[in-house]
Amino acid sequence: MPEAARKIRVQCDINGRVMSLEAHPMARLLDVLREQAGLTGTKEGCGEGECGACSIEMDGALVNSCLIPALQADGATIRTIEGFTHVVELSAVQQAFLTHGGAQCGICTPGMILAASNLLARNPEPTETEIREALSGNLCRCTGYTKIFESVLEACRTQRHRP
Amino acid sequence: MREKSPGVVHVELRLVEPGAQRRQQLADAAAPRRGREHDRRLVSVDDRRQLSVRAEALGLDCEQIEILQPDTSLVPNSGPTVASRTTMIVGKLVETAALVIRKSLMDAGFLKQGYSANDFASACRQYTDKFGALQSLVKYQHPGDLHWDDGKYQGDAYGAYAWAVYVAEVSVDMRTAEVRVEDFVAVQEVGKVINPILAAGQIEGGVAQGIGFALYENVVWQEGRMVNGQMTNYIMPTSMDVPPIRVFFEELPYARGPAGAKGIGELPLDGTAPAIANAIAHATGADIRQIPVTPEKLMEMLEGVHA
Repeated sequence: MPEAARKIRVQCDINGRVMSLEAHPMARLLDVLREQAGLTGTKEGCGEGECGACSIEMDGALVNSCLIPALQADGATIRTIEGFTHVVELSAVQQAFLTHGGAQCGICTPGMILAASNLLARNPEPTETEIREALSGNLCRCTGYTKIFESVLEACRTQRHRP
Repeated sequence: MREKSPGVVHVELRLVEPGAQRRQQLADAAAPRRGREHDRRLVSVDDRRQLSVRAEALGLDCEQIEILQPDTSLVPNSGPTVASRTTMIVGKLVETAALVIRKSLMDAGFLKQGYSANDFASACRQYTDKFGALQSLVKYQHPGDLHWDDGKYQGDAYGAYAWAVYVAEVSVDMRTAEVRVEDFVAVQEVGKVINPILAAGQIEGGVAQGIGFALYENVVWQEGRMVNGQMTNYIMPTSMDVPPIRVFFEELPYARGPAGAKGIGELPLDGTAPAIANAIAHATGADIRQIPVTPEKLMEMLEGVHA
């Protein structure tokens, strides 16, 4: 059997938990997360790296998991949308999306939350232009983006006042 | 597993579709059973809008009404997935069903005018203790004064129209023929806004889709097949392509809508592209007869103008 057809062991930290997963080396990280790790919050929108529904954080960077081969995730620290739900209260971004209509059908929402949170971690006081740019890799068909920006701005305001 | 506190009323609605044109709703009002789990397996196809319609009709707080998530293993076939006038049609049925429940409670002598939310919960409890489950069945009926001849396509197809004015401001790069939507104002008269955030969200989403319709979403056909069916070559608006969309509502209540509401499902998609096309024409003098107005197409049109 050729090398690429044999499964390998991929060990990574997913949402603070070390997981050891078996996968083909060129399997998409998106599928490994959804099927092997059972983390179905990350969505497939296009499978070609255009829509951002599959966005995750890998070693701190926002990436499209549909384009990451499993072998590249070995040794990585990964955060998915499920990584936002292990705390007692919703994150500022999540809460803002709820109150400000940032989600309608919800299919883009996990990726948007990842992208917004990644932005705020790097830049806690972004301008609206910076928010637009940071979210430009996440497509949304329902909201027209307006309330997503409002949600992110609200999250900034909330975080500003949190100790 | 949670216990419900006394005073919380569970209204469960099931949407039944026995025929293509008719909708029925079954509304159960069940009083909370102290110390026991309430049966949550009855499902509802309602959402936040229906919740507030129901709450307002009954004079309750939204917190006192529980929405159950729809589950296709439990909900009967309700026909196609459409949503043009869900708030208006289904919302009205929900409102009516809720009022039937209230009337049943009053007729049974358990509820009086000017009741409080606690009075309502108590009345439900008394009713179900004495008579069992309280149900109301409401069926959609086509208004008798609306006559539509489907054979001749004559008459009044609809009881109401929602109205809108859309204004687009665009800038056109005269060298590259790229168009940017710089500002967009959407005013619509919708009878009654049930949920301001969702209503504005619907308009904003539709306008964004209209921007794509007007400028980016070119469908390439080859021998009857669409050949650009991937996100990489079918271009839809990103966050960089949509200006701040300013939304305003006017309200002239429609008697047959819940609290006067009309539908706004497809409304925002209708006027957006024409507004943008007219703005491009205004900016360039080109006669815009086709969308999307891609840079290639606009460049041809501009050559026609300056020829």
